[in-house]
Amino acid sequence: MTASDRFIVIVGCGRLGAYLANRLSRDGNGVVVIDAEEQAFAALSPEYSGFRVEGDATELAVLREAKADKADVVVAATRDDNVNLMVAQVAKVEFGVARVLARVFEPRREAVCRKLGVETICPTAMSAELFLKAIAREPAP
Amino acid sequence: MKVLIVGGGKSVYFLCRTFLAKGHEVALICRDHEECVRMARKLKATVVHGDGSDPAVLEEAGAYGADAVLAVTPRDQDNLAVCQLAAMVYRVPHAVALVNDPDNEKVFRKLGVAALSTTRAIASMIEQRTAIEEITNLIPAGEGKVNITEVRVAPASPVADRTLRDLSLPADSLIAVVLRGEQAIVPRGDTVLRPGDQIVLITLPANHGPVLRAITGEKD
Amino acid sequence: MREASHLRQRYRTILSYTGLVLVLGAGLMLTPLLALVGWPGEGPRAWAFLVPAAAMAGVGLAAWRLLRVRDHVVLSVREGGVIVLLSWMLVCLFSAWPLMAATGLSFTQAVFESVSGWTTTGLSVVDVARAGHVVLLWRSIMQLAGGAGLAIIMISAITGPSGPALSLAEGREQLVPHVRQSAKLVLMIYGGYVLVGVPALRLAGMSWFDAVNHAFAAISTGGFSTRAESIGYWNSPAVEAVTMPLMVLGNLSFLTAWVLLQGKFRAAGRDGEVRLMGLLLPLCAALLFLLTTRGLYPTLGKSARVAIFETVTALTTTGFSTVGYGNWNSFGWAVLIVLMLIGGGTCSTAGGIKQYRVHLLWRSLVWDLRRALLPQTAVTAEPVWQSDRQVFVSDARLRRVGTFLFLYLLTFVAGSAVLAAHGYGLKQSLFEYASAVGTVGLSVGVTSPSAPPAVLWAEAIGMLLGRLEFFVVLTSAAKLARDTWAMLGRP
Repeated sequence: MTASDRFIVIVGCGRLGAYLANRLSRDGNGVVVIDAEEQAFAALSPEYSGFRVEGDATELAVLREAKADKADVVVAATRDDNVNLMVAQVAKVEFGVARVLARVFEPRREAVCRKLGVETICPTAMSAELFLKAIAREPAP
Repeated sequence: MKVLIVGGGKSVYFLCRTFLAKGHEVALICRDHEECVRMARKLKATVVHGDGSDPAVLEEAGAYGADAVLAVTPRDQDNLAVCQLAAMVYRVPHAVALVNDPDNEKVFRKLGVAALSTTRAIASMIEQRTAIEEITNLIPAGEGKVNITEVRVAPASPVADRTLRDLSLPADSLIAVVLRGEQAIVPRGDTVLRPGDQIVLITLPANHGPVLRAITGEKD
Repeated sequence: MREASHLRQRYRTILSYTGLVLVLGAGLMLTPLLALVGWPGEGPRAWAFLVPAAAMAGVGLAAWRLLRVRDHVVLSVREGGVIVLLSWMLVCLFSAWPLMAATGLSFTQAVFESVSGWTTTGLSVVDVARAGHVVLLWRSIMQLAGGAGLAIIMISAITGPSGPALSLAEGREQLVPHVRQSAKLVLMIYGGYVLVGVPALRLAGMSWFDAVNHAFAAISTGGFSTRAESIGYWNSPAVEAVTMPLMVLGNLSFLTAWVLLQGKFRAAGRDGEVRLMGLLLPLCAALLFLLTTRGLYPTLGKSARVAIFETVTALTTTGFSTVGYGNWNSFGWAVLIVLMLIGGGTCSTAGGIKQYRVHLLWRSLVWDLRRALLPQTAVTAEPVWQSDRQVFVSDARLRRVGTFLFLYLLTFVAGSAVLAAHGYGLKQSLFEYASAVGTVGLSVGVTSPSAPPAVLWAEAIGMLLGRLEFFVVLTSAAKLARDTWAMLGRP
């Protein structure tokens, strides 16, 4: 159960973004989703009661329109690692957001991310670990 | 100097050509294969096909040996990623990013990346050009805090045939150099401005307009 | 067969939430009994409220708890619409019961009064001089609650549904990015209006009881009064001066109100509805003064006051009046009818076609004219200011506005025809029906205890359609009919 009553901005309304938005809104948080394409918002459930902003999140004006400067949490969940890293850094440095999370697919960037001080989640590495464990397990008799 | 350029398109082609003409070594990273082929045919540069924000590609293109990295893709986020990688992992001494959204110029600097916004430069150039015709070349310097302008002294100009001392230009402006024909003169108080002279003028953005008008004689 | 059983599951949830609304409504039905504190002599009347409230609570509780589904259910907007339709109809029916029991109204009259209350219309068949304080308070409370909206009330309740389906179905836009926080915010703004309005009216010269009732009715743009002459009873510039801002506040979109509360005055000033009001109110008040009221009243001051007040009450669809209209010329009637048709702001307690739609159609006309001057292949995007945002209007949106306008006018014409068929004059029929379908409440005498039942039913249907903005009623009724047919297994 996540803490509710927080204001969360999610960048990217793909599978991950929409899933997070639906759950967080259902749990009672105020949520704003940003995506460059209007059609992406169709992935949001009817229960989603947050706001939608259509625009390119690498533009400061778009982030401001979504009120990212007042957010408690910013999640960068687009398909592009570079966009996620940029949004995360802008949120942290320019807006001073307390918690910033970015999804980064490319495991080789981990080193740079750590140096930049951005909290990242790498689905590739995580899935790889789970797969390796599954492969290493003895098949059931 | 070894320059690594990340980007594509016509303007990048000319950029590479310019650097090559000045005698530098150029390596280009471009995402589009067809463009890479075209560039390779026309330029005497190392052309690498790939994503410049991928560390492996940067390394292959010679990031370890590069003196400067210029990220000039149309996407700000890619330019940021390239420069941060270049600076932090490959320790390239100069990494500059092109910034498309002028709002990002300050943010990039906060993140430790030198940034250039052509939008701002072009916009102010065009504004100034359409206003007054005698100007050639307007360069903003010092992060936009100072303007360096070349202005021609027209025969009808109020400053023609007058000494520098006699001119009453607004404060905080300086005539740095007077170009007369092939000669470049660093002026003093008794230097006379002649029609046809090219003045290199230093101003602050605040008094730029009035100073120019004082020299060209244009009423607002 | 599978569809039938699936629908039955969905309707369990729908009826369960409807039951919840009934329980909340029953709670509200008990609040007028507070009047007994000041007037204990009306004690016997209390049964007229206790019994219906108990019945309503009983039915509601049964539906809510017995039909509740264990797992988490996500309501679609269409299902939300069905809940809205069912709740409104059931609440209006139950609310008629105390009126019948306490004042001896017939079934038709009681339902009419109840609908007029909940839809914040204000047309009345009750003799206010003899109704008693409890009944009067109940009328005002119905308007206050109806103005807030059943959806808002339900969502703010802790166990209400968590999605925006209900809120959207009742036509409320969100102020902040979570529906429950938004509902609570709307209630707070609403409550704030009341807290300011009641003392203000008291200071202006009303008694506490009158101040409470009129504040409720002004802020909900309802218009029920405790006096037969409405606000005209006091004939006081002070009372009128306090009532008018309350009416305007009630008709302001909650979104705009929220923007104003945050201090963004310039943004609010750009809002299309605010601009339209800024134009219409002075213009119509001036026209009314010059061409209608000037010669009619003893002093010029009174004529001016009347012109201004009647303009405001008609446009905001409140329905308080300071004078009768019998001696007004036809121009005056025409102005009032037009104002009543235009109506108040969207996402507020007001009725009518809504200023936003009128503003949009006007902008659309301007753009079309402007486009004629542009190159033929030019691509244009036309923005409209809605509170503090710029919204780009699609053709689909304009089409819906056009259809709405058509429905509205169709209903207006049909309803006026019903009234005229019963012998009322054309002017009177048009006026009264515009007042009903716009949930205004100004009357020229057609609505009265002696009006024929068909007239009252026609007006009641108009009021409900007007409050719920047509489409919700029509599409939800259609869905309900189809689903019932399917659930019965299509014999």
